[in-house]
Amino acid sequence: MNKSLHLLPWLLGLAVLAMLPQLITVKYYLHLSILALIWVIVAQGQNLIQGFTGYVSIVQAGFMGIGAYASTLIGLNFQWPLWLTMMLAPLITALFALATGYPSLRVKGHYFAIVTLAFNLIIVIVLVNYSELTKGEAGISNIPKPWGGSREAFYYLALALAASLTLLAALIARSRVGEILLAIRQNEDFVAAIGISAWKYKLFAFVISAMYAGLGGALYAHFQGFINPEIFGVAQSLDAILAVILGGSGTIAGPVIGAFLVVFLPEILRFADSFRLILYGLILVLATIFMPIGIVGIAKSAFARMTRRGGQHGG
Amino acid sequence: MLIEILQQTINGLAIGGVYVLIALGLTTVFGILGIAHFAHGSISMFGGYLTFFLVTAQGLPVLAAIPLALLAGILLGLLVEILAYRPVRNANHINAFIVALGLTMMVEGLNLQLFGHEQVVIPTGLSKVFRLGGITVPELRLYVILAAILLVVAMMIFVERTKTGQAIRAVAENRDAAILMGVNVKTIPLIVFSMSTALGVAAGIMVGALFAIAPGIGEGLVVKGFAVLILGGLGSFPGAILGGTVLGITESIAAGFISSAYKDVIAFVVMILVLLFRPQGLLGRAP
Amino acid sequence: MPNPKLTRACAALALSLVAGTALAAEKKLTIGVADALTGGGAVYGLPQANAVKMAAEEINAAGGIKVGADNYKLDVIAYDDKANPTEATNAVRKLIDRDGVKYILGFCCSGSTSAVASFIGNEKAVMLVGNAAERSITTKKIPNLVRTRPPADYTGQAAGTFIARKGQKRIAVLGALDVGFYAQYVDSVERELKKAGGEIIAREVFSLKDRDMTPQLTKIRGLNPDAILVVGYVEPAAFVYRQAVELGMKIPRYGFTSGSEEQFLRVTTSEQMEGVWDLRPTELTLLSASKNGVAYHANYTKKFNASPSPSSPYAYDQVYALKAAIEAAGTVDNTEAVAKALRNLPVPSQVVMQYQPVDGKMFDSNGQAYTSNGAFQWQKGQWVFVEDLPSDSKAYSQFLSTLN
Repeated sequence: MNKSLHLLPWLLGLAVLAMLPQLITVKYYLHLSILALIWVIVAQGQNLIQGFTGYVSIVQAGFMGIGAYASTLIGLNFQWPLWLTMMLAPLITALFALATGYPSLRVKGHYFAIVTLAFNLIIVIVLVNYSELTKGEAGISNIPKPWGGSREAFYYLALALAASLTLLAALIARSRVGEILLAIRQNEDFVAAIGISAWKYKLFAFVISAMYAGLGGALYAHFQGFINPEIFGVAQSLDAILAVILGGSGTIAGPVIGAFLVVFLPEILRFADSFRLILYGLILVLATIFMPIGIVGIAKSAFARMTRRGGQHGG
Repeated sequence: MLIEILQQTINGLAIGGVYVLIALGLTTVFGILGIAHFAHGSISMFGGYLTFFLVTAQGLPVLAAIPLALLAGILLGLLVEILAYRPVRNANHINAFIVALGLTMMVEGLNLQLFGHEQVVIPTGLSKVFRLGGITVPELRLYVILAAILLVVAMMIFVERTKTGQAIRAVAENRDAAILMGVNVKTIPLIVFSMSTALGVAAGIMVGALFAIAPGIGEGLVVKGFAVLILGGLGSFPGAILGGTVLGITESIAAGFISSAYKDVIAFVVMILVLLFRPQGLLGRAP
Repeated sequence: MPNPKLTRACAALALSLVAGTALAAEKKLTIGVADALTGGGAVYGLPQANAVKMAAEEINAAGGIKVGADNYKLDVIAYDDKANPTEATNAVRKLIDRDGVKYILGFCCSGSTSAVASFIGNEKAVMLVGNAAERSITTKKIPNLVRTRPPADYTGQAAGTFIARKGQKRIAVLGALDVGFYAQYVDSVERELKKAGGEIIAREVFSLKDRDMTPQLTKIRGLNPDAILVVGYVEPAAFVYRQAVELGMKIPRYGFTSGSEEQFLRVTTSEQMEGVWDLRPTELTLLSASKNGVAYHANYTKKFNASPSPSSPYAYDQVYALKAAIEAAGTVDNTEAVAKALRNLPVPSQVVMQYQPVDGKMFDSNGQAYTSNGAFQWQKGQWVFVEDLPSDSKAYSQFLSTLN
């Protein structure tokens, strides 16, 4: 497949997303789209560790929380400008990820998943109980919003960041580092056997994924204007995992589609009222059983089948 | 001080017993099928809710309600295994994990629809309290601890002494070798799910009688159950028994002597420390 | 530059609209509810949503809301926010942006409510908060927000005075102190205790999912306090009372839980509860209920086949306050006028809770309403109203105005 053909869907998608605020008349959908773009960033990060490296981390929302509180608290306590605190947020998150990644990555598979889950629980408990700093469960209101709270402007900020971080993820995936991460997913012992210290690469993927989450969290804080610990609980970490799986694990387009799904699907299911939880769970189960490779995977194989048939016809 | 430590140890035993039963169910499913059975807690609570319903709405005596709830719980467990887990058995383990998450939502939603959002307590009428020196133990708490021990012993006998039990353990410890040895790996998942769910429902009934069942309680228990697995070593039965007891007592001692606000943090930190120095868990075998 | 032709056309259109409305006297006003309908918060949120629906039906049956010549019948849309801040924001955005709703009621839980309160000031909408007790919700002077439930520390102050008068000096606290408003309640109690030479000797914590309180209670038992104070949601709190008895603790037990008899008796025996004090807003208990309260209890029980939660009238009263404010403002479209009317409202006659008006008004300048506080004691199987707790809504209102 030639390169320009490969880029075409991306450019088209970007163009549609860029025009979206003009197309949307009901602002509620713009609100959800901004949340979805923030989730694109979070899910791209999750995909680096889960999709490419094959380690299911259940602390992505916890890292969002660290980024959100870092940006908010630095801004409130030192009166530093918003853009600066937002840039610091992923760096501070990276420090936490280094500290938690080291013990977590000593173990594999389900062990890793459960240790990261424990870290998420610990982050929430500390955010709740260290209320001198975090204001506890009551949360922090009136977090400054850029551009006087204009949702259109924020949409383009989120879009620009989501697009460039998606590009960055694609670049990482295609680099030598990305190849090694994929190799770790397929056979970690083999990677070690050829003399590559896999732990460095795993830690790299974990820390970068946390930085994505940290930035996503900071964006969330300055978009909503309110944060409390509950927003960054395990349930939201599970949403990050779902976004990757539903969209297509280990692909670049997957987390983008998955992020929109995890934000819009529960909203669409509001009609189901008290059956919403059951229905959402059912969709997950059915989707995983009948389309285990995610939406992008299905689209890809359908596309491949089409072009193959087309090729036969021509040849 | 000594009395207080002793009292705190006894305090921790009840919830420790619940952790052991939950963890044993998780560890059999995990060891044999490689599934992180997240829905286990919600299914266990379904059994507890059902017992409550049979006792309060249908007027059954508790001892008659328990077998019915066990049976219904086992059926639900089997349904879950056949309809949901089996189709993703050979897929990437992350897929089974997502299915487990979806199931958790479904069963939690089902519990909410059927039994409402108010907490329920299974009425037992047992309210006597035994006192010995400075130590106090309510009779219900004592029976829960004894029942947990009884169930664990029964399970150990089943696993050690019966042919089916030995086959299960063989698969848990080494799936490929077990297949080579001619163990029927088709029916084993069904037996495993029945056993695991029965233990879970028993734990659910204990929680419902001694404490309470409410939305979210089952999910919390499953997380603790997985922590126990890590403490004790994945797939290890003795590890689950030791890990659950240790976690229960650690929480109680931590809340009593260090900080009740951070007792869960302390429990998780213990788990992480164990992993750092003994990654295979307390009783797991070195990989 | 005004175009005379256009102006005339507009005027004609406006006239015809006015004429049209005058003819069609029956109109529909959609109000929204954002509340926890599932999850842990549903214990509080679901009864609130039910209460709003019931009040709306009553108002419709009695002829609706009268605005000028028009008669508005209420229509209720309720969305689940799972007591989660993100979900609550999404639900309210949907109500305002998509459904065109201007009046949003419910709001049982502090986190989700604070999230919505943080942006509602910029919206052409009115927000009526119910059971959410976090104090800061009404300290931000949001002009289009009012709350029917008083902040927890308003009650805590009264409770502290009461405990101090009973003469106990060393009080051990066990509660959901990770929740802001419960901690504020305890802070207020502590202030009053100190004035009388008492102190709080332990602050132990339980979380919403904890049901085994024996570790904390064993520790407290070792400290030999004069009394124990239990603050927190009723589900875990009931276990504190039971397990304290099981551990042989015979000291006086005070609490701030607002649980009904039914909720406690699920967990404890009546003997285990005997003598326990609950120091709280009067809320809905049959023994202290007004005529409205008794009728509310009966109607709710009949309609929903379950007894109402003690705090659910906070939402019921929202609807009648809104009705009175809309009628006073004479408009359903001008939310600013309705919000202003809410703050100038005398207490409507149909409300269930026993409000203590400030300067004759139901809501003070912060948008906060105050109910009376009472000391209830468990006697032979039920809560008995023993006495009013000394509480000064006007003084507290002034204190609230100084906060930020």
